[in-house]
Amino acid sequence: MHMRPTKPLLTALGAALVLVAAACSSGASNTNTPAETGPLTIWLMNGSAPQSVIDGVNADFKAKHPNVTVNVEIQQWSDVGTKLDTAFAGSNPPDVMELGNTLVAKYAAAGALQNISGKKSGYDNSGTWLQSLTDSCTLNSKLYCVPYYAGSRAVIYRKDLFAAAGVQPPDSLDGLLSVGQKLMAANSSDPNFSALYYPGKYWYAALPFVWDFGGDIATQSGGKWSGALNSSNSQQGLTTLNKLVTTLSKADKTGDEAKQDASFAQGHIAMIVANGWEVGVITDPKGGDPNLKDKLGAFPIPSHNAGQTAPVFLGGSDLGIAAKSKNQALANEWVGLLTGNKHMNEMATVGGVIPNSTSMLSLGTGINAVFYGAAKNSRFVPNSPNWASVENANIIPDMLVSIFTGKASIADATKAASDKITTTLNG
Amino acid sequence: MGTAVKADAESAAATPSLEPALARRRPRPSRRGPGRRTLPYTLIAPAAIVIFGVLAYPLGMLAWISFQHYGLKELIAHQGDWVGLQNYTTLLADPLFLRVVLVSVVFTLVNVGLTLLFSTLIALLMSKVSRVIRVLLASGLIFVWATPVIVAVDIWQWMFDYEFGVVNYLLTQMRVFGSLIHHNWFENTVQGFSVITVIVVWGAIPFVAITLYAALSQVPDDVLEAAEVDGANPWQVFWGVTAPMLKPIFLIVTSLSTIWDFQVFNQIYVLLNQRPSSNFFTIAIYSYRESFGVTQYGLGAAIAVVMVLVLIAVTYFYVRQTLQTVDLAT
Repeated sequence: MHMRPTKPLLTALGAALVLVAAACSSGASNTNTPAETGPLTIWLMNGSAPQSVIDGVNADFKAKHPNVTVNVEIQQWSDVGTKLDTAFAGSNPPDVMELGNTLVAKYAAAGALQNISGKKSGYDNSGTWLQSLTDSCTLNSKLYCVPYYAGSRAVIYRKDLFAAAGVQPPDSLDGLLSVGQKLMAANSSDPNFSALYYPGKYWYAALPFVWDFGGDIATQSGGKWSGALNSSNSQQGLTTLNKLVTTLSKADKTGDEAKQDASFAQGHIAMIVANGWEVGVITDPKGGDPNLKDKLGAFPIPSHNAGQTAPVFLGGSDLGIAAKSKNQALANEWVGLLTGNKHMNEMATVGGVIPNSTSMLSLGTGINAVFYGAAKNSRFVPNSPNWASVENANIIPDMLVSIFTGKASIADATKAASDKITTTLNG
Repeated sequence: MGTAVKADAESAAATPSLEPALARRRPRPSRRGPGRRTLPYTLIAPAAIVIFGVLAYPLGMLAWISFQHYGLKELIAHQGDWVGLQNYTTLLADPLFLRVVLVSVVFTLVNVGLTLLFSTLIALLMSKVSRVIRVLLASGLIFVWATPVIVAVDIWQWMFDYEFGVVNYLLTQMRVFGSLIHHNWFENTVQGFSVITVIVVWGAIPFVAITLYAALSQVPDDVLEAAEVDGANPWQVFWGVTAPMLKPIFLIVTSLSTIWDFQVFNQIYVLLNQRPSSNFFTIAIYSYRESFGVTQYGLGAAIAVVMVLVLIAVTYFYVRQTLQTVDLAT
């Protein structure tokens, strides 16, 4: 009987524990080891650096510091934000962390990252780093991380389906629609066919349409942000996208892009908006279809101005050094090795990602060249410490879902999202 | 626990003749001096310390944080800013929060109701069928109970998938609703919550059904037979005899189910790919989103505190009822 009054409290415990887990994660502090022996803990994200590159960096590092143990731990992208929050809150966080470029401002503003402005010139190619990545590392004119690699999106398409429908890669957004309609007509016997497969929450792929018509997510003036998705230019871009999605896509209007490569490999899709590395996922023998290897092509997302391309969102990662790290110098050196000439070259050639410097953009060959080219015309999200909250609150995906499902008009949906973005960014 | 209540009640009823003997023995320990009196406290001390450590301290911290502005910066510095009731006033002015509370309450009512309905039916069925069928039924229930939530939700998600889902395929084959290929279950909030309800109720039935079955098997056959002899139909037997005898158990499983369903998190979070839109927020998800998504730990804590208060209010009724029932029995 005595147990009963505690039952409702048990519930509270669940909720409380989560919070306390965060508050108490700073358990025992590390034993005071001299800086030269480390150990150095590095968090890299799943799929960023191939194992051969990590091994190479560690071997070079070991040659200089034979006594230092380096632990490279691979983290998963899903829910990484929570993990990073708790790690940074602890008194002994990993020394080096790979951060998605949209997350850096948040951690830099919170004082979690080391200001490395003074060390910038010590890194290879720091004069030719990709501008968008450098911007993502910069807050109040101070540098808080080192650009690591980038990813930009283009359209991956099926050459064989294009040939069968008698169409060529389009060079304008109108062309994209008419090419799509011809593909739909040529495959009308297949009820599952999508000319352009576009899952509703895929906001990275929506930004090029907004930017191409001169719109933006938010603009800053006098230190204040104001949401701009409801500007007439932004709305024009979203209207164009909505037309494409409703006409050409059978994808889940409330789903995200996580499954799009698996779907593409099933064979009922002619085009997707994707990263360069997704070619590898589509043709992967386990989850994809290796027979598609020779049938894939890519073209940049076209502009509404014929002959031009739309600006794309430059995704990517940076490497930050924790402010609480007890091995600042060693961490700095390790980051320098991974982002330096030698290993960046491998990242590009073996890993297939876009390297951190414009001096290496010629490394992209074949289908990759299209994605490297797209990186040259790239934009970035508002560089505010509060941007991560806009992202984590799913404001833009929710807006897209209400537009595509017809739950709200474009005017209403963009107004609601824009207001939320204004509040969140200024919060 | 349920059977213990019953056993207590029965043994209390069955042992009146021992009463004088017990009464004679009772005073003895207290005569042995004050040292003896501290023993019970010493004995419960370990449990009390554990309960304090895992219950009172976290709850206290939760309440403490809910009065602070506690963002990422404060988390890293381990130092929040005291803002008094500001988090709570922000919440009460937030239309989304009020909606979320309403959604959670309705969701809980529906889920608890369905869980109890189906569990009772299954428990009654189990008490009527042959041994072999009963074992099969019980095994099926145990398997459901033993399936980890995340695994189960992944499978449900796959079944209700927009493109490859077997549910859409089968419903289309049945030719009742027309073609449901590419039917999106989560485009419409009510449909989406129906799917979530199916998953939650499915997962909740085993415990409740087996508990109720165990309680049913304690209802003496002669009482039921007597009722039948007196001309009661099965419906009357259930409502007039069985249900009142099971009342303590019903109260317990109802309060437990209320607690579980009010804080449903995993099912929704995993089903909607960890990015549920605000239409599908329950209070637990909203609290998590505010804390860990938007790093407003203070606000998230305030939501959790409100959740605890609502739960205490809801379960208070059941707990009181349960205690009264037990008091009556003993």
